[in-house]
Amino acid sequence: MKFKSLLLFSLSVGISFSACQKDFLEKKPIVGITEENFYRTEADAIASVNAAYAPLQFQLSPAGHFRWFWGDIMSDDALKGGSGDNDAFSLLQLETFKGPTNTDLLESEWGADYEGIYRANVVLERVPGITMDETLKARILGEAKFIRAWNYYTLVSMFGGVPLVDHVLAPSEYNMSSASADAIWDFIEKDLTEASATLWKRSAYTENDLGRITQGAAQALLVKTYLWRNKWTEAKTTAEAIINSNEYQLVSNYADIFTQFGENNTESVFEIQYMNRSGGNWGKNNGNEGSLTNVFQRARGQFAGFGFNIPTQNFVDEFFKEGFEDPRLKSTVFRVGDPMGDRGVFTLAATGDLPHLYYPKKYFTGKSEDAPFGDPAPNGGTNDRVIRYSDVLLMHAEAAYHTGDEAGAKVSLNKVRSRVSIPNISATGNDLLEAIYRERRLELGLEAHRFFDLVRTGKAPQVLGSLGFKAGTHEIFPIPQSQILATNGALRQNPGY
Amino acid sequence: MRIFISILLLAATLSAHAQIKISGRILLEGGTEAAIGATVQLKGTNIGIITDIDGNYSISVPDQTSILVFSYTGFVNQEITVGNRTKLDVILSESQSQLSEVVVTGYGSQKRSNISGSVSTVDAKEIAERPILRVEQALQGRTAGVQVAQASGSPGSELTVRVRGVGTINNSNPLYIVDGIPVDGLDFLNPNDIETINVLKDAASSAIYGSRGANGVVLITTKGGKRNQTGSVSYDAYYGIQRANRLLDLLDAREYATLQNEAYLAAGKTPLPEFANPEALGKGTDWQEAIFQSAPIMSHQLTFSGGAEHSSYTVSGNYFTQNGIVGGDKSNFQRATVRVNGSHDIKPWLTIGNNLGFTWLERQGLAENTQYNSPIIRALNIDPVTPVYKADGTYAYSNYTSTDIANPVNGIEQTHSTWRSNRLVGSVFADLKLGKNLKFRSAYSLDATYAIQRGFSPRFDLSNIVSLSDAPAPEKQLINTVFVGNNTWRNQQLENVFTWQKNYDDKHNITLIAGSTALSNRYDGSGGANTNLPSNDPKEAYISNTIDPIASQSAYQYASESSLFSWFGKANYELNEKYLASATFRADGSSRFGKNNRFGYFPSFSAGWIGSRESFWNIKAIDFFKLRASWGQNGNDRIGDYSFTTVINNGQNYTFGPNENITNGAVALSAANPDLKWETSTQTDIGADFELLDGRIGFTTDYYIKKTTDMLYAAPIPLVAGTAPPIQNVATAENKGLELSLNYRNKDHALKYNVGGNISFIESKVTGLGRGGEPVYSGYVQSANANASKTDVGYSLASFYGHVTDGIFQSKAEIEAAAFQSNETAPGDIRFKDIDGNGVIDANDRTFIGNPTPRFTYGMNTDFSWKGLELNIFFQGSEGNDIYVNTIRYDFTYVNRPSSALNRWTGPGSSNKEPRVSLSDPNQNARVSDRFVEDGSYLRLKTVQLAYNLPQNWLKKAKFNKVKFYVTAQNLLTFTKYSGLDPEIGNINRDNSLEIGIDRGFYPQSRTILGGVSASF
Repeated sequence: MKFKSLLLFSLSVGISFSACQKDFLEKKPIVGITEENFYRTEADAIASVNAAYAPLQFQLSPAGHFRWFWGDIMSDDALKGGSGDNDAFSLLQLETFKGPTNTDLLESEWGADYEGIYRANVVLERVPGITMDETLKARILGEAKFIRAWNYYTLVSMFGGVPLVDHVLAPSEYNMSSASADAIWDFIEKDLTEASATLWKRSAYTENDLGRITQGAAQALLVKTYLWRNKWTEAKTTAEAIINSNEYQLVSNYADIFTQFGENNTESVFEIQYMNRSGGNWGKNNGNEGSLTNVFQRARGQFAGFGFNIPTQNFVDEFFKEGFEDPRLKSTVFRVGDPMGDRGVFTLAATGDLPHLYYPKKYFTGKSEDAPFGDPAPNGGTNDRVIRYSDVLLMHAEAAYHTGDEAGAKVSLNKVRSRVSIPNISATGNDLLEAIYRERRLELGLEAHRFFDLVRTGKAPQVLGSLGFKAGTHEIFPIPQSQILATNGALRQNPGY
Repeated sequence: MRIFISILLLAATLSAHAQIKISGRILLEGGTEAAIGATVQLKGTNIGIITDIDGNYSISVPDQTSILVFSYTGFVNQEITVGNRTKLDVILSESQSQLSEVVVTGYGSQKRSNISGSVSTVDAKEIAERPILRVEQALQGRTAGVQVAQASGSPGSELTVRVRGVGTINNSNPLYIVDGIPVDGLDFLNPNDIETINVLKDAASSAIYGSRGANGVVLITTKGGKRNQTGSVSYDAYYGIQRANRLLDLLDAREYATLQNEAYLAAGKTPLPEFANPEALGKGTDWQEAIFQSAPIMSHQLTFSGGAEHSSYTVSGNYFTQNGIVGGDKSNFQRATVRVNGSHDIKPWLTIGNNLGFTWLERQGLAENTQYNSPIIRALNIDPVTPVYKADGTYAYSNYTSTDIANPVNGIEQTHSTWRSNRLVGSVFADLKLGKNLKFRSAYSLDATYAIQRGFSPRFDLSNIVSLSDAPAPEKQLINTVFVGNNTWRNQQLENVFTWQKNYDDKHNITLIAGSTALSNRYDGSGGANTNLPSNDPKEAYISNTIDPIASQSAYQYASESSLFSWFGKANYELNEKYLASATFRADGSSRFGKNNRFGYFPSFSAGWIGSRESFWNIKAIDFFKLRASWGQNGNDRIGDYSFTTVINNGQNYTFGPNENITNGAVALSAANPDLKWETSTQTDIGADFELLDGRIGFTTDYYIKKTTDMLYAAPIPLVAGTAPPIQNVATAENKGLELSLNYRNKDHALKYNVGGNISFIESKVTGLGRGGEPVYSGYVQSANANASKTDVGYSLASFYGHVTDGIFQSKAEIEAAAFQSNETAPGDIRFKDIDGNGVIDANDRTFIGNPTPRFTYGMNTDFSWKGLELNIFFQGSEGNDIYVNTIRYDFTYVNRPSSALNRWTGPGSSNKEPRVSLSDPNQNARVSDRFVEDGSYLRLKTVQLAYNLPQNWLKKAKFNKVKFYVTAQNLLTFTKYSGLDPEIGNINRDNSLEIGIDRGFYPQSRTILGGVSASF
């Protein structure tokens, strides 16, 4: 009898387990939300589009891919700098047009752009199904389309044709080959056209949303896109839409633009937001909001920087070509003897005896702007001014010129010039076009435009030839070798590399 | 257990008539030690008795023709006709045969002779033979089919154990079961506490562990006391010194400067002025000497064990400490363990017991086995011109480095990383006899770990002039940082097993086992970090000591759970102990899989035939011959807890507004895979066991084919996906292997010897890949910014893949004649083979250039004992595996190089192997190629031990049972062609089978000389 009851007991133990088995094996993540129960509310929609903004801030993911690497260092405006040739050696090879195809710098740029595209695609797939305020929803979808277009703009201007990912990929779709550059440009145009229609004007946003993508930003990027494609009429019309919106105006003092209080000012059209108050910043900075540009561009030695992006003599000379010193030079470049903010006077000894006579100024931050915690070196707070209103005016001038409206071109060009109180341009014909190009170099100097302007306007072989630039090859960068391998050859290397 | 059964047998037969009373004493071979608990049985009956603690017995027999059978595990049975004696003393001689040993199998145990699966055993004797630092070492080279390699030579680091090779690109670790408790990792276990280790190799043996058995199962039983055993106290201790086996021959300062000058010139740059006169620089710094040191190792163990008629126990305590040969006490490992095992007969039908082990361990860690910033990679790469110290005694920095390659001595100094864990692994069980044939065991077990991880990164600045902050980034840290992480794991298991056993007519022996297990695991982790502590003393490194505002603290908290519920059953049938058959079945439900694929079913069958027991068997020399065959299926569920779903990751932030408000962003950072299903391995095994010449020769062989399908792996994906890779059922693979082990033991008067060897051949290859069949690339090599390993159909996992070198270009003409490599390829650069013949060297010209998987591994063990002297010599080796040498960071221009670089190309005809040096390497001579693939075969004298046992007559006087002194040398000799620090390279990441055979500055194993003592009374 004793045994019998024991047997019953042990059986019941077994049975009780099988009874609660169903719950026992049902384990949902304890921390975090799953995809199934997200994308339900307005707050979810906003959080998902915020996540698409985050990769805009990526600069080291994991290797460096600053916009000024490509726009300035690759151009005749700046040299790599750093502690010597060995410091970011592959960047030296890139700027001297010696390849290489397998640098992690390009791979990181590629990865960050596609991460942004993925996140924008998630928004575009998931947010439409959320029941919420339709105007807000339309804005969010517009923001996502802009972000997707911006990432493609970076990709196509750097690599030419790239894989066109317009939805969240299933594992079976990963091995994509490149679409043509034209197909990418078409896609960018479509996204931006749609985004401009639903995005809010800058003035429609509340103050707390300062920094979000606006209708003006989408239109401005569309103007850039049209310029790349020589669609002058469309460019001119769209630029005029921005001008006539009265949403933007040039700030009166050029020197103020790059100060801390100059962030998101009235001439800011598209600006990537950074702040210095959040955590250390090395690596893929999802959770951290700081910029590394400040520390990378500050002089070495007592200025506690790494001394990259060194302005060339040729660039500095450009500011003197009209017989006077262009007032924008002192906001753009530090010269020996200049005080570098509150960090001391620029002498060669103070910069660690490096042979550089110039340092970039636009992204300089003083000691007082250092992060209030941690190693002050990495974290900087300066926003990345991607598109300013003066850029829009100069693009308008260029488009107007090409459509035969020289008068309109001059109006826009001279708006930019008169802001810094320098004489109007009265040239005509090709001289006017050259003057517009030159104005871009001065007005937008060291803001990561130059290399792409040279390529877009076809001037790169002439200007950069002596540095090793070969027409037909170096207009675009090599496709990262690692990605060719990862797709098992579905991606092809760009010609000449 | 046998004794327990004997008692029952005895109880059942008390009523038998007795006519002659025989008594006596049974002694073991040597004639001094009593055979406690030996069985004395009247032949042909089930009348029997067991000896007491002095070896005495007394039994009544019917008449003088009665025959008594004296038996004792591990000794040869003796049959003696009683005759006219009333006193009968017996000395049992030690058995050479291993067939009678009892082998622990899944949820039961069996006599080795009657097993139809493939099980390898390492017993306490083999473990006790020589000091081992970690449990896994006991398996290395000792058992065919079990491959063990050190994942790092640093103290406390794990060993990778692979049963029958790597069967999956997923986690390939075997399932470890310690006293019935599934555990992750064995670092908590004190090797001295182990009684036996059994490795279930074929599917028939391991299938009863279902979804966790695909990589083999390692069953470990810890020592418990024996019934009727006088209490004993034993003390074991050793102390030793470890040293590096070898250091590499690198360029000295003169040679370095000479090559740097050439490299600058080759790139069209002006050489550095300070290198103008290389000779003036002298030899410079030997950075290897600076980081390697001799390091002590020590262990103390105290064990109490004993047993009465109804109770037995073992209580032990151990303390172990080891410093590293790199970093000394900065890579120290300490472990203290306490074990209490016992079992007690409460009632005739009830036995309860416990196996409880508590472990405290602490490990100081350095960065290791990384190509970026480990002390070893830094020592191998930093220039020899820079001194370790400045004139003022502080650490110097190199003028040439920018990232990664910093002063390694300072790097060690600034590392403060501690892992301290408290772990209780224990079970309590009750065994019930529910009748004559039915038993029931219920066991609850708990594996609870609390581990704290502390890190402190102090302020330091190697700048020459601090106000100028001239030191490069890795040589200064202006703000200190403190980190703490708390981890708890709680794994509970409740297991209920019925065992029914019956013997019919002495012919049919049937065992049926049925049971259920419920296992639940929970992990909780939390921690935080902060910066800017006023004190730079690691002892004061606590988050709350910071002077930064709370706002700059970071904190995290994680938790995860998983559960497994299983039913299982097993049937064994033996006919006349000649024909053996066994079947198992397990149903596993795992929370790690989505609803549709939650349950997996795993069957197995095996059969055996003991030919030597047939009446027609007439091969006299062969005492025992058994043929075995088995088939079964297993699964692998190690894919993380929630892989079937995707978690939305918060914290993908952006700032908006004039006040720069950090605004939360959320997105799934990795892709989900709702179709996730079980990975299955199917294995067929054919084996044979022989014993020859009265058990003096033992021979076992197995041939198997193991197929793994639906392998689970987060295969790397192209970046266009924008997410981390999802876990997918991607691949199939096949392992075929042949295992042989041979043992010869004999004695010649006082000389006893045992010579054994085993060898395992493995051929593994991938037979299919998922998705579009794309290969999986792994083994990232920073110096080439490319992967060195590729997993593809027809090749073994993670084979090396790259370019093939074809000598050195001696002239411009040769460059023009060859396929295009780059515009700036110059004489002295490497000519790569144009595999696809299209005239351009590109990614399509890569091919398989090496295999990290050995063709075979082997071990050879020799024991001699003569009177009190014992000599043990143990070799272990690996043959046919390649190593990819990734210890030089060619992506930096300033790194030091091995002396072989002196043979560089300097002009036509100067070298056809070693390329010119150039700062820019436009030809990418450092790309992944066979230039870096070396033969990693080795034969290593793992252990030589000489021991001396004090003579018994001395011991008697001092009331000791045993006193032994020994000297042991580990890793004394290594025969290899490999040029690196250590050819014995395990998986760098134990959980990732695709990171194999790449030397990223491997922390080498040391050569250790130990002296020890082992005494008991």
